[in-house]
Amino acid sequence: MARTVIPLLILQSFLLAIAFGSNEVEEEFSESLLLKPLPDRKVLAHFHFENRAPPSNSHGRHHHLFPKAISQLVQKFRVKEMELSFTQGRWNHEHWGGSDTLSSMNAKPVGVELWAVFDVPRSEVDTSWKNLTHALSGLFCASINFLESSTSYAAPTWGFGRSSDKLRYGSLPREAVCTENLTPWLKLLPCRDKDGISALMNRPSVYRGFYHSQRLHLSMVDSGMLLEQSLTVVLQPDTVYDGKDLQPSWSLSSLFGRKVVGKCVLAKSSNVYLQMEGLAHPEAHTLLKNEEFELSIKPDRTLRETSSVLFIFDIDKSSDSEPFDLSLTWKLPSKWSCQQAPLHASRFLMGSGNERGAIAILLKATESQDKLSGKDITNGGHCRVKANVFQIFPWYVKVYYHTLQIFVDQQQNTSSEVLKKINVSPSADKMSSGMMEMMLELPCEVKSVAISIEYDKGFLHIDEYPPDANQGFDIPSALISFPDHHASLDFKEELSTLPLLSKFKDKSLVRSYTEVLLVPLTTPDFSMPYNVITITCTVFALYFGSLLNALRRRIGEEERFLKSKGKKTGGLKQLLSRFTAKIRGRPVESPSSEPTAAAQSSVLSSKLLFKIILVAGVAAAWQYFSTDK
Amino acid sequence: MEETSDHPNPTTSTPGTTPEPDPKTMRSSKPGLKRLLITTTVLFSFLSGLPFLWKSVEIYRSQLPFHDIDSLSDQIKSTPLRFPCTFHALFIGFRSNDPDQLRSEIQDGVNQLTGESSQCGSCNVSISVTVQSPDELCSETFPSTCSYRCGVIKRDAFGGGLDDEVDESLDDVFGGCSGGIGKMYSVVVVNKEEGDGGDEVKAVVGKRRHAWIVGSGLEERYGEVVGRVSEVFVKVFMNGGREEGDSIRGEFMPVGSDGRLVLSFSLLNSNPRDWIYDWDFQRIDEGLLAPVTKALAPIADISVESQVLYHTPKSSFSSWDEKLQSYIFRTSDLPFFVNSNEWHLDTSAGASGRSKILQFVVYIPSGKECPLHLQLPNGEISKTNGFISPMWGSVIVWNPRNCDKDSESPSRNMISPQDLEQIVEVFLGQFRQLFGFKSEAIYTSELGSYKILPSERGFTEWELDVLSRKHTCFNLHSCATTLGSLSRLVQSLPRMIIKDEIGEQVKYSLKAAKLAQSNASLGGYSSSASSSREARSLAENAFFHPSIMSVSYFSYEHCFAVYSPFFLPVAGHVVLAALREWKRYKQEKAKYLTWLTRKKTA
Repeated sequence: MARTVIPLLILQSFLLAIAFGSNEVEEEFSESLLLKPLPDRKVLAHFHFENRAPPSNSHGRHHHLFPKAISQLVQKFRVKEMELSFTQGRWNHEHWGGSDTLSSMNAKPVGVELWAVFDVPRSEVDTSWKNLTHALSGLFCASINFLESSTSYAAPTWGFGRSSDKLRYGSLPREAVCTENLTPWLKLLPCRDKDGISALMNRPSVYRGFYHSQRLHLSMVDSGMLLEQSLTVVLQPDTVYDGKDLQPSWSLSSLFGRKVVGKCVLAKSSNVYLQMEGLAHPEAHTLLKNEEFELSIKPDRTLRETSSVLFIFDIDKSSDSEPFDLSLTWKLPSKWSCQQAPLHASRFLMGSGNERGAIAILLKATESQDKLSGKDITNGGHCRVKANVFQIFPWYVKVYYHTLQIFVDQQQNTSSEVLKKINVSPSADKMSSGMMEMMLELPCEVKSVAISIEYDKGFLHIDEYPPDANQGFDIPSALISFPDHHASLDFKEELSTLPLLSKFKDKSLVRSYTEVLLVPLTTPDFSMPYNVITITCTVFALYFGSLLNALRRRIGEEERFLKSKGKKTGGLKQLLSRFTAKIRGRPVESPSSEPTAAAQSSVLSSKLLFKIILVAGVAAAWQYFSTDK
Repeated sequence: MEETSDHPNPTTSTPGTTPEPDPKTMRSSKPGLKRLLITTTVLFSFLSGLPFLWKSVEIYRSQLPFHDIDSLSDQIKSTPLRFPCTFHALFIGFRSNDPDQLRSEIQDGVNQLTGESSQCGSCNVSISVTVQSPDELCSETFPSTCSYRCGVIKRDAFGGGLDDEVDESLDDVFGGCSGGIGKMYSVVVVNKEEGDGGDEVKAVVGKRRHAWIVGSGLEERYGEVVGRVSEVFVKVFMNGGREEGDSIRGEFMPVGSDGRLVLSFSLLNSNPRDWIYDWDFQRIDEGLLAPVTKALAPIADISVESQVLYHTPKSSFSSWDEKLQSYIFRTSDLPFFVNSNEWHLDTSAGASGRSKILQFVVYIPSGKECPLHLQLPNGEISKTNGFISPMWGSVIVWNPRNCDKDSESPSRNMISPQDLEQIVEVFLGQFRQLFGFKSEAIYTSELGSYKILPSERGFTEWELDVLSRKHTCFNLHSCATTLGSLSRLVQSLPRMIIKDEIGEQVKYSLKAAKLAQSNASLGGYSSSASSSREARSLAENAFFHPSIMSVSYFSYEHCFAVYSPFFLPVAGHVVLAALREWKRYKQEKAKYLTWLTRKKTA
């Protein structure tokens, strides 16, 4: 018996080896959710999905977990790295964090933002970009194809924080983001929203939030393709005010209206994290219950970081009968503040009227600056903060770069002092958008920096106005990044098995986007061309007619005629009587002899008849032409 | 001037009595021409400017060859495209038959079967017959199309061994046949000696372009044999074993208008919580599908891709059948089987433009509905457990070996290579059906049944010939109709801009169509197929050119609205002025003439 079993086992293992041996590195998928109470009584939920595909020799034609659509996109347009984000709402840098990994990666400008690096010769980058925008707009049901025109994208050199000459960047601030963009995004996940953590994405609760940003980041790494999809939502838990200044308590089901009933079976790892910041006694919080708050489920692991505590939950154990419904109940009032970026950026318009204006970017020091700058840079004994500003101007905002002024602490500064590097590519009318990259080096003790630049508003061709031209035109967000500041969570433990945390452990550039500006342009009356045509034509016709009449005038004859007529009744009176007669349709009651009156009336009626026929003929011709089509 | 004529006569003039002429009726000076000249000059310059204006508002329209388009579609409608085919019949072991007589009889049979209605893509038949008597003497019809060496096929040795080997040997025998123009098809009829095979007649159609009928005592059943030979020629070699009245199939050629076809294979795990199956499609693609796509290369440019999807329930319900111990879905449920909400099969980004995508779906039922079987209308269980949907693709339901749910956490299983091969075999059958062929290896007609040897490439050579004939025909048809619609559209919208590019495309499309027609008449199957493909894709490109789609053409209304505010009043002034001056000139001239006559008489 044993003799027969062993060869069978060998055979079986051999067959298994054949079956699985063909692709040793398999496609991998993992899902995670990070929850974080925010200081302003809101809750942040960050869904993160990671999909890895090994490099294959089938040129992306056969897939098991990795979405076919994305890999075909990569193959077709030779994308090396790409990020697409759909955002509604504005990230509140003061309350939700400015310098941690979460905010520097996921705080995105309003609307659609797309950047991509291509692996093609430099001359073909623009073509690839155009094709990619079209493909993505079909894939995500969005008007990303508007980024195709060369007036709407730019090629940043160093200001974007990623230097490559094959990089293209574009954004559509006006794009409305809704569930029709989320559904195709979910289709790329193997479990969609049917199972696992993504089942929490109840559309009404996601879109009721204060901020939501769905992001898709694709990169070619040594181990193949890496597709990261994340959805960041800031939600307000429903609470009744109880008089005490407690933070609101919440649970997954109260936030989303759904529960997690098990992991996505295809996911390699499936975790929920809870990040708590600013706790009074971090050491004491490894427990399920403490005096400050209470968790409904015991965390599987607890990690401690310099400023926060991270509870890790594994949702493997949950099932239909026992759903995973994490809840957090506060027992004591708690207050904390988030890590801030060194400078807080905002942007506004100056000036009035439809002719010219100025754009100002204001950088204000935040509380955290001293702490950060102290350890960051000491440049020749002086503490310095570096900041990069990257801004795209549409061509119809004609910026005068010589008017660039920098005020440091409300003192106008000669540019060379703080402005270390500047790169400007001016816009060309209807050809390309303008771009400005600036590197500022500011003293650490700076309170505020204002950058202003003047512009003239251009005129668009009548065809170039969007349907709602009177709403105004958007200037895309400026990107402020701090090249010497990096955000990362500093864990002591080795976390390579947890994709989200290992991502957080990597250093990422601290960056923040400013507001979108709305510039009202002179909008024409869109029926104007026809009005202009009509009025000029009428004037010309009048001129032409009077000129012709003047040419044909016989002055001598008229004088003779007037002389002979002067004895008669006044011209005006006769004209009036004629007019009334015409209206009444009766012959002119002339005091003169009968036969002449009769003759006159017959002449009159024939002329009248002729005119009526003429008008009727013109009307008929018009009718014929207009109904011909 | 009207006023002057209107003016009531104050005094009753007495003509002739006074030397001063009455200004009402006559004048002494010659009327001046100045004003008349001015107004007529203005009028004429105005009129002569009109052609320039007309020219300036003219929109650019590339000249389309309307006449050629019409003649092409007329030609295709009136004379269906026919390819030259040579049929060669070889009778072995027949004593007393005159080949010429046989030929005319076969010709009659062929004519009877094809009937009057000559379908597009059928054959222009030429038949040759060789008869080999039992003592290996040959007589053949003239002109000889094939250099069959007499006696190569032995009457008694023939048909021994496997059918595949016979097919190979026949290919050697007829290897030297050029077949003149077009393809050559041959049928070998072997009359065995009495007694060794009984009365049975065996008819086989090979993988190449040969068929053979073997039996004993065939000479006595001579009429039947001739009937069967002509049947093989017409029904199998010419029509590919399709049913008559299947001509509509030609419209359903599943090839995109750019000549490309994407085969998208999807493995659907309807509920991955019960079990997860995966496949190694890469191997299938390389091993089993590559020969098929290669064989079909002249007809379509085929690419293959695969994916695995999860959480994809079907949208129809199935019921438990106690007797069969399985869940059943019926043929009436099939229209609702494909769940387009949940099966995000996705149009492929690899398929650009107008290429066609065929979806091949393997559906793995969930634990709640396992095993799942398709019940045919006659109550039997379908053997393939799958169905096709023309122009969309096909679905196969694959039940796991063991319908018991995996324990707590489902593991990822691989479909075993044997199972996968079976699935692919069903796929190939369905693929053949989508192209209009039968999936069985037997063709039955009134006179008997024929065994059809399946090719490992999915399609036999004669089937590929049928496909290229039909495909050429279909492409030319669709090219002609597309160009016809384009020309009608263009003619119905006289103010639509037509770019040069469209004109070029139409021109090249017509050229390619002409080339395809001439190639077809010369018997170049693959060349005519490829040029007809080109013709169709160019025609479609012209029709779907983005500039045709744009709405902003310069309409008459627009023209009228822009120009009438100027030209209507000005034209009124100019024309009226000229008319009045002319009238006045005539009046004054009459006055002058009366004065002249008066003067003369006076």
